[in-house]
Amino acid sequence: MAFLKGKAAWVLVAMVLLGLPGLAAQASPDREHRIKAVFLFNFAQFVQWPDSAFAGPEDPLVVGILGEDPFDTYLDEVVRGEKVNNRSIVVKRYKRIEDAKGCHVLFISDSEIPRTEAIFAALKSSHILTVGESDLFFQRGGMVCFATEAGRIRLKINLEAVQDAELVVSSKLLRLADVAGPRKE
Amino acid sequence: MAFGNMRLQQRLMAIMLLTSASVLVLTCAGFFAYEFLTFRRSTVRQLSTVAAIIADNSTAVLAFADRPGAREILSALKAEPHITEAALYDENGNVFSIYPEGRGAAGIPSVPAADGFRFEQSFLIGFQPVVQNDRRLGTLYVQSDLKAVSARFRLYGAVAALVAAVAFLASYLLSRALQRQISAPIMALAETAQAVSDRRDYSVRARRIGDGELGLLTDSFNQMLNQIQEQLGRMELLNQITRAIGERLDLSSVFQVMTGALENDLPVDFVCVCRYDAAQDRLTVTSVGAKSGALAAELGLTSQARMQAEGSGLEKCLRGEMVYHADVSGTGSPFAERLVAQGLHSLVLAPLIVESGVFGVLIAARRMPDGFSAMDREFLRQLSDHAALAAHQAHLYGALQQAYEDLRRSQQAVMEQERLRALGQMASGIAHDINNAISPAALYTESILESETGLSPKAREQLQTIAHAIEDVSATVGRMREFSRKKEPMMALVPVQLNRSLQQVIDLTRARWHDTPQQRGFVIKIETELDQSLPVVMGVEGEIREAFTNLFLNAFDAMPEGGTLTLRTRVVRNTLVCVEVSDTGAGMDEETRRRCLEPFYTTKGERGTGLGLAMVYGVTERHGADLEIDSEVGKGTTMRLIFPVAQYAAVEAAPSPQAPAAPVHVRVLVVDDDPLVAKVLRDTMKTDGHDVSTANGGQAGIDAFLAAQKAGAPFDVVMTDLGMPYVDGRKVAAAVKKASPATPVILLTGWGQSLLADGDMPAHVDRLLSKPPKIAELREALMLSVPQTVR
Repeated sequence: MAFLKGKAAWVLVAMVLLGLPGLAAQASPDREHRIKAVFLFNFAQFVQWPDSAFAGPEDPLVVGILGEDPFDTYLDEVVRGEKVNNRSIVVKRYKRIEDAKGCHVLFISDSEIPRTEAIFAALKSSHILTVGESDLFFQRGGMVCFATEAGRIRLKINLEAVQDAELVVSSKLLRLADVAGPRKE
Repeated sequence: MAFGNMRLQQRLMAIMLLTSASVLVLTCAGFFAYEFLTFRRSTVRQLSTVAAIIADNSTAVLAFADRPGAREILSALKAEPHITEAALYDENGNVFSIYPEGRGAAGIPSVPAADGFRFEQSFLIGFQPVVQNDRRLGTLYVQSDLKAVSARFRLYGAVAALVAAVAFLASYLLSRALQRQISAPIMALAETAQAVSDRRDYSVRARRIGDGELGLLTDSFNQMLNQIQEQLGRMELLNQITRAIGERLDLSSVFQVMTGALENDLPVDFVCVCRYDAAQDRLTVTSVGAKSGALAAELGLTSQARMQAEGSGLEKCLRGEMVYHADVSGTGSPFAERLVAQGLHSLVLAPLIVESGVFGVLIAARRMPDGFSAMDREFLRQLSDHAALAAHQAHLYGALQQAYEDLRRSQQAVMEQERLRALGQMASGIAHDINNAISPAALYTESILESETGLSPKAREQLQTIAHAIEDVSATVGRMREFSRKKEPMMALVPVQLNRSLQQVIDLTRARWHDTPQQRGFVIKIETELDQSLPVVMGVEGEIREAFTNLFLNAFDAMPEGGTLTLRTRVVRNTLVCVEVSDTGAGMDEETRRRCLEPFYTTKGERGTGLGLAMVYGVTERHGADLEIDSEVGKGTTMRLIFPVAQYAAVEAAPSPQAPAAPVHVRVLVVDDDPLVAKVLRDTMKTDGHDVSTANGGQAGIDAFLAAQKAGAPFDVVMTDLGMPYVDGRKVAAAVKKASPATPVILLTGWGQSLLADGDMPAHVDRLLSKPPKIAELREALMLSVPQTVR
């Protein structure tokens, strides 16, 4: 594959790596968000929630999308049949932050940037991993950010915020990410 | 060098080194096998551990497709130099990242194989799942070369080699030191054995090194050498004694040598040899060891001591058994008690056996109880066998010597007799010739003296001297003839007064005891102690005188420097007359005394005939007398003749000779091959008036007699010589008697007296006349022979 260069090659490799079923057949969403969908799912693998985040041991892990959904149905396909710590995964879409209180991973779409103050305030003292796409989101207190830089998706983690939410992020994930904020001792 | 040929030291070294080497090799092999197995396992474990860590760390990079992160994680493998390549596969089995960086995908499996680790060729490869929260995110592939294994094994090998070398060196040094413990005594033993066999020196001894079996072995070896040495000594001694006794040919020196050797070399405290006389069941001590003399005296076993075998305690030995009493003090026999009293306790009785008969006992004793070892006893047994054999040989030798001596003596006697016979025959022949020769002289002289009356007195005296001389010649010839006489005829016994006979012999031998010694300047004294009332004995006086003469002459010969001859006569118990002739001369030793009566035995060399005492003995035998001889070397000899006293006193007077009768005229035929003799006979008988014819030789005589008979004028008497050529007197007599049995035949012979003495009157002969005949004898013969008719 030496002949593949640049963005085209990267995408191809990413597609092969992620091995998403029916990826080639589906037109939408764009390749960036398909990867981000998988990443979103993968977060669940590297983050531990306190028990109080779940009503029972069998309760599903809820991945919520607040605002405009960039993944179309792709996220649903990614999580279908998957389990994390014996928990099935459920994708929920929210219009309002108030609705999103029961989820565990909350993708806050860039469409909600103007309302971030209110959103983070609402999510205060909840055990929800907030994931966004923009630096702005991250600067305003988002926990994890998929930042696309020079064709690469970079992860940024606001460790302080994560710890405030009593979430434990695997060090393996931290190694990949740009970590911001002090680690709580 | 084959192991079997190696020296002991090398062998021991080799054994020890081989042992330690095999232990080392086995240990190393086990160690290596263990290491090999465990090391593979540990290599797998290490690799899987590394793979697990890497895989665990790779979850996030796979989950978030972080390729630089993956590279970074994989680059951590640099810490493990043996991991030659690695790769991460994503969830779908596609290669996600490759280690080392920049390496192409060549050689990397395009898809992950089954999970797990396995050895492939010289590599260990493994596929490790990458799992996060039970979710498989991909696969880690790692490949490790096994250089670690070989490097480790090289290290181990070096260490093992070093350890082995050190251990081997240590074991070599230890072996060197330790093998001496075993090899040194054995080598010492081997050296000693070598020395013994090389030099045949059994006096060397192996040095004892340490205790234990090797010390014991050395002791046993030395003990063995001791025994060999002792045995050799015994053999040498036995040999020496056997040789020494083999050289001796008489029993007593055989025993003397044996006892001496036993005393000095075995040694024993007491030793003696007894001869055993089975017939009398008696033992005689024959030989006592020189040093055992004192003990022997105490024990009553001095030389020549005798004891009865029965009850002596030696009976068992006398039955041919070797007897050993370790301690005699318990046995209770008197002999044993005597031994114990002298402090002798152990006793060996060895029989001396020849041809299954015990002829003696060797008695050896020691003070110490059980003082004779088995070896000693065996030695004594063998020695007694040898001694018995030597004794037997000595005995045989003695018998052989005796037989040889007897043979020599009888041979000498036969030769002597033959010589005498020849001498006698010669003397007889000479006598015959002399008698023939002097016959005419005798007859004519007698005839002249008788018939010629006109002879001058001087002529008559001279003729008588001639006649005496002829008689002397005749007597001498007669004595000469005695040589040829085989047997003395028993002459008439007459009463003999021995005192007178002795006196006569003293007178007869005067020249020997008086004249000759005086000339030579020494003196022989004659002393007589004669019993004057000695009765007469019956005997032939001449023989008795001759016997005395011989005794006297022997006595004088025994006193060449002078001395005393003592003559004693006495009566013993009224029935015997004893005559002693004693000299103070040289005396006789035992052998001479024993043999002096043998004929031809002489101590006088060429001067003696060896017949003197033999003749004396013959005389005493014929007179029923005894002859006793006492003699001591240097002191003198006494010869004692003991005659029985004559039992009758009266003696018949001898009949007076018949007076010659008057001559009768008869026809006489004289036959003689000697014409002189025939002529003198004819002349003599013609003088008496007889008609005498002569015939020269036997055949002529027979012819003349037959012719006269035929002519009717037969001869009245035939007088014939005995010894004639071709036809002798006997044949003439036979022919005459055949033709005319009544005609008397007178045999005239120069052997006449010898024939008479032998009592050998030839057949057909009526009378014998010896030459030279006397006229009176001729007349008498004719008178007695002439037939009555003629008379």
